[in-house]
Amino acid sequence: MILFKSTAGVLLSVIASGLILSSCASSPPPCDGPQTKLLSAAMSDVRNSLTSGCTAYFDSYYDDLLTIAEGDPKPENKRLFSEFLVWSSDEGILNQRQARDYYNRYFNVKFVSLQSDYNNCSHTCPRRDRVMLDMERELTDKERGLMKISRDSSGYYRADKLYQEMELVLEATCTACAAGR
Amino acid sequence: MNVFHFRRPAETSLAMQFASALMKVFGFSLLISVLVSVQAQADAPTIRLFPTTVVEDLRQTSAVAKEMETGLQEVIGRLDQQQLLYQQSKCDGAESDPGCQRLAKQLGATYLDMLGIMEERLPDMEHTVNNTRLSLEKRLRSELGNKMTSWTLQETLLGGKSESADAATPRMRGRSGMRLSERFRQYYKLVASSSSQSDQSLAVLASDIYLDMEETSVLIARTREEIARATLIEQLNQSLGTITPEMMEVVGGVKSILFGDDTGPVLIAGPPPGNFEKDYRSPLEN
Repeated sequence: MILFKSTAGVLLSVIASGLILSSCASSPPPCDGPQTKLLSAAMSDVRNSLTSGCTAYFDSYYDDLLTIAEGDPKPENKRLFSEFLVWSSDEGILNQRQARDYYNRYFNVKFVSLQSDYNNCSHTCPRRDRVMLDMERELTDKERGLMKISRDSSGYYRADKLYQEMELVLEATCTACAAGR
Repeated sequence: MNVFHFRRPAETSLAMQFASALMKVFGFSLLISVLVSVQAQADAPTIRLFPTTVVEDLRQTSAVAKEMETGLQEVIGRLDQQQLLYQQSKCDGAESDPGCQRLAKQLGATYLDMLGIMEERLPDMEHTVNNTRLSLEKRLRSELGNKMTSWTLQETLLGGKSESADAATPRMRGRSGMRLSERFRQYYKLVASSSSQSDQSLAVLASDIYLDMEETSVLIARTREEIARATLIEQLNQSLGTITPEMMEVVGGVKSILFGDDTGPVLIAGPPPGNFEKDYRSPLEN
């Protein structure tokens, strides 16, 4: 009788443990954002979350990291973000182009929103307003990345000047294109 | 009878705008001549925005503009003297005085001379400005519109400057009202600071000139339309022997442009110098 009881007890505890384990495996990971205000530690948290199946939250994590970096702006933040994006690409979380775009949108003078394979008369001019609006939005991101995070004010001013020159040159070019039709 | 309401303010601004545009055309023409000679000395450009034909058109525009400028300067000098005499004779408020009426008529006649010079020279100006505009239009369409994507255009504009702190270059648009000498000084700076005048500056310059030529063309056409009416009204004023304040305003505006006694807009300080630490370059950069 005693033997029966102890066998049943062991069996029940094995079943209970199995149930607990199986429930753990099927529940989604918490996918919380970084909890620290230290950028490198926050990136480490995000890396852990991303490798634990939270890749769908990449945009949100990236924004969290940018916000954390704004709290401690310095030139080397550029390098930290670059390394983080290269890692994301190496891990297959982002493709090469996505990684480049995430970096260049915030930390490069050039505008990723100007990527195009077709000539200006046929492609850019018909949607010039949209192009300029996209550039304007990107300029805001560059202000965040270059000025507020990396303290690269000269880089930001170059981007701003490029925006103004592009506006002028596109106005002239598109007027010339329209006159030729 | 109050004749101070004969002319609408729009006429005044039109005449002033036109005079300003005229100076601009002349300035641009000179700048391009210098630019092209500098460009010829540098390496062959990858984009051809200022070939010989465009330069020739600009030279011609410059010559016509200069002729007009000379003619206007002389007549404005005369107007200046007459206006001074009018003021010194204390004619303000004494319009019924026969002597003042005679002075007012002389002033009005000189003003008519100014309108006459403009009327005479404007067709030539219109022709050469349109030629230049059309030449530039063709080059812009071909070189920047059809041969480039928005990405390559961006790279052209950025040129070799992306790695260095940018030197302050003057903004080209909206120069109206700037002293003529100051404008030329800036042109000189622009040319002198760009011994390797590259495509990015030329693209901006060509765009700027083209858009200004567009505006100038419109202004010339509008001015031509208005001159006949302005002349008629001034002839009416002549019969009344009165000077309108608008007439004086036009003369003052043209004078300020020609002789540079204009108080231009207050210059705003540039941005603070950037961080000159060695920039980090990511392998992800385009």
